[in-house]
Amino acid sequence: MSDVERALIRRLRDRDERAFRELLELHRDRVFNITYRMLGNRSEAEDIAQEVFITVFKTIDSFREESKFSTWLYRVAVNHTKNRIKYLARRHERKHESVDERSEETNGATSGSPARIAQPDKALQTAQSEKLIQEAIAALDDDQRTVVVLRDIEELSIEEICEITGLPDGTVKSRLHRARLVLRKKLQRLEGNHE
Amino acid sequence: MSESTEANAEEDAIIVALSDYFDGTLPPDKKKEVEAKIENDPAWKAIHDEMIGTQESTKQISGLMKSRVPALDQKFDSDVTNTIHKRSGGRFFARKTLGDRVPVGVLLAIALLVIVTVAYVLWTSQTGSLKVHKDPAPKPPAPTVIEKP
Repeated sequence: MSDVERALIRRLRDRDERAFRELLELHRDRVFNITYRMLGNRSEAEDIAQEVFITVFKTIDSFREESKFSTWLYRVAVNHTKNRIKYLARRHERKHESVDERSEETNGATSGSPARIAQPDKALQTAQSEKLIQEAIAALDDDQRTVVVLRDIEELSIEEICEITGLPDGTVKSRLHRARLVLRKKLQRLEGNHE
Repeated sequence: MSESTEANAEEDAIIVALSDYFDGTLPPDKKKEVEAKIENDPAWKAIHDEMIGTQESTKQISGLMKSRVPALDQKFDSDVTNTIHKRSGGRFFARKTLGDRVPVGVLLAIALLVIVTVAYVLWTSQTGSLKVHKDPAPKPPAPTVIEKP
């Protein structure tokens, strides 16, 4: 852990609001990306991301600095998201946003960029592919979803995923392989249905 | 251990070895061993081929999802901090109280020490002593003699 990170944590423990804002600035997008990719629902993902930061702030004293701060933060994010997935599954409230909504809400290289305006067909195709992938991820069980999102979307190392999930190295690797197989099959099926 | 669990454990071992093989983290002698198994063992060959098959789709998923990072609502930061303020009545963002900073045990020890010190000072003081000055016990009244008429 870097000295800067250590100083930030010390200030968080002192309940420094400015430190909390810095924490948000540093990690909010990544945390939201994890919750969004795992849940596939924007408003639920935002709600969980909020809860993650509130939990982190409330429980910062219990962070023992044995692992990287980001690892601890992502563990909180994954646990909150998995709980929400279970809650939503129980209440049969899984909803997904439409392609139109998503393409308006995403930013980065695609949304509103000149490339997108010049190639609307390509942008639409990308948005549709994203929707298909998101649907396929949402159809995985929550353990498989976790490893796929952390490894293939967030590109975290196997060691980090082991720390976040508390699983042994071998379990993460075998779960990841099986999840990728399921994902590929689901994608092939979904692509077939959409054609 | 049941047969299916054994088969799963064996498959898991193959997956782990092949994952390391694809990640390029195996030492040269192990790498050769794995390559020989892929060549000669159908179970190894099958999982190897599966991994090749998923590599392409994984690359596509990874590339696409990276280019489509969802944007957070601009009010996100203020929403989070407002929620903390609301739920805690402003306490979380207040500087920590002495009770938060110093362990309760230490505070209790200090309080005990202060009480003992004050008690000792009062005990030894000439003016505000805690000592109870016992008055000498009153003498019993002299027996009254009733004269007989």
